[in-house]
Amino acid sequence: MSQGGVFPKGNKASESEVNSDRRTFIKTAALTGVAAVVIGVPLASYVIAPSLKKGTGKWIDFGPVEDLEPGGMEMLSYEFMVKDGWLVLPQRGFVWAKTEDGGKLRVFSSTCTHLACNVIWREEEEVFVCPCHSGRFDASGRNIAGPPTKPLVVLEHRIEDGNLKVFLTV
Amino acid sequence: MSGTDNQSETLLERLALDGLIARVRDLQVSSDSLTWSRFCGSLALVLVVLLFLSGAFMAFYYSPSPGAAYDSVDYAQFSIPFGDVVRGIHHYSWNLLLVVMGLHLGRALLLGAYKAPRQFVWVSGLVIMLVVPAFIFTGDLLPWDQKGYWSTQVRNSIMGSVPVVGDFQVRMLQGGPRLGIVALTRYYVLHTIFLPGLFLFLIAGHFHFLGHRGLSSPVFGRETARRKVPLVPNIVNRWLVLFIVVAVVLGLVAWYWPAPLGDPADPTDSTYVPKPEWWVLFLNQLVGIFTGPLTVVGTVIIPGGLVGLMMALPFIDRSPERHPARRKKTMLVAAVISLLVLGLSVMGYIEHHLTVLE
Repeated sequence: MSQGGVFPKGNKASESEVNSDRRTFIKTAALTGVAAVVIGVPLASYVIAPSLKKGTGKWIDFGPVEDLEPGGMEMLSYEFMVKDGWLVLPQRGFVWAKTEDGGKLRVFSSTCTHLACNVIWREEEEVFVCPCHSGRFDASGRNIAGPPTKPLVVLEHRIEDGNLKVFLTV
Repeated sequence: MSGTDNQSETLLERLALDGLIARVRDLQVSSDSLTWSRFCGSLALVLVVLLFLSGAFMAFYYSPSPGAAYDSVDYAQFSIPFGDVVRGIHHYSWNLLLVVMGLHLGRALLLGAYKAPRQFVWVSGLVIMLVVPAFIFTGDLLPWDQKGYWSTQVRNSIMGSVPVVGDFQVRMLQGGPRLGIVALTRYYVLHTIFLPGLFLFLIAGHFHFLGHRGLSSPVFGRETARRKVPLVPNIVNRWLVLFIVVAVVLGLVAWYWPAPLGDPADPTDSTYVPKPEWWVLFLNQLVGIFTGPLTVVGTVIIPGGLVGLMMALPFIDRSPERHPARRKKTMLVAAVISLLVLGLSVMGYIEHHLTVLE
């Protein structure tokens, strides 16, 4: 690059003063700063914007509540459409519903409180097991073994016209 | 052509490339730059070139949306001539790259190559190694198969468990609260544009320090000045031979054992158990050991401390002594850490790959 052309050859004026150097530096630094802000603010907003959106909740209909077997733990799958960015896609997953003898119902999120794998109910042992790091929860969702430190999330539900509706954060 | 005509310029002169060519032709490097006893750096370079090439070409058939990603990868691998070879080379190259980089690092550690004046050759190499997992994490999701989807979910949860910044970090990466099309597009762009750009810059930095501070001299044998050979063509020829051999071998491997592509991602499938990959087993064990309020010890403090220690090594271990037998303290610490990592990996392998949860 030192072979000529637009690149200056040899030394510049050797008497260049410190002050003038400093002024040049400050000028370039200031211009760099302005350029960084001018492109940085729009680009940073551009990339961060969707991350600031909070997930919203939705009531999901799981059908007639009388279909649930009393005293049992049932896996209820759901699928509903959710807008993800520019695309409306089906969001699938499942929750665990426990019907107690008195007809009381509890709905657990299937998300392990450790690292968000899906927990599975094991009928024989009456525990939820997380396949990822062997966390265990009892039938009331309490964390009883392994890494999880929090119980399974109990989801808000209501029964409307005999249908079970669960509030899911999407 | 114009070569005989003194009046006119050569083509190279007209293109103003003559100076550059002359400088490249004059480059001299030590003759042991690429030999049987020193090849990991060159092999890593060859693998990176293969990764860039195969990756760039895979992008011709890739469609980064949850509905189409899996099918596009399946199509590219099984319906296009050489599809399994291209994807397989990408797959086997990164696995092999991890091994080769480990050996590269191990050699530098064992033979004290990180010592003055090469401290920043070591540091810049470590920085490159830190970027590689980012490539794997972002690339893993792209086929949108069960393994990629669920491993990403688990990794993002681990990232989210980091205090204070964790949640925002994950939302930034995913571009929102869920792993969907916005997230997939981001992973794709990071994997194919931003990370490769950063990677090239870091490799240039590694070569910059290497070029100025040179290769470490042999520890064993007599202290004689090493023979210098021209980079072009001596070393370049060896690079090309290495490149051809590695490309053919990996191509054949990829052809016989196609790169794995699981079932399409299914977020409802509770039976799918993501198995941590071999190179991340020890970290996964750490995450499993430190739970509750100590989670951060396994996810941040120990891995971060290890990286910090490695970065600082050339500035802690400052004696000019390079023979491993006379650097007992460093070797002992390195051996203990290596054994711990190995032990945790074996434990993880037994837990996740040999035992089946039913």
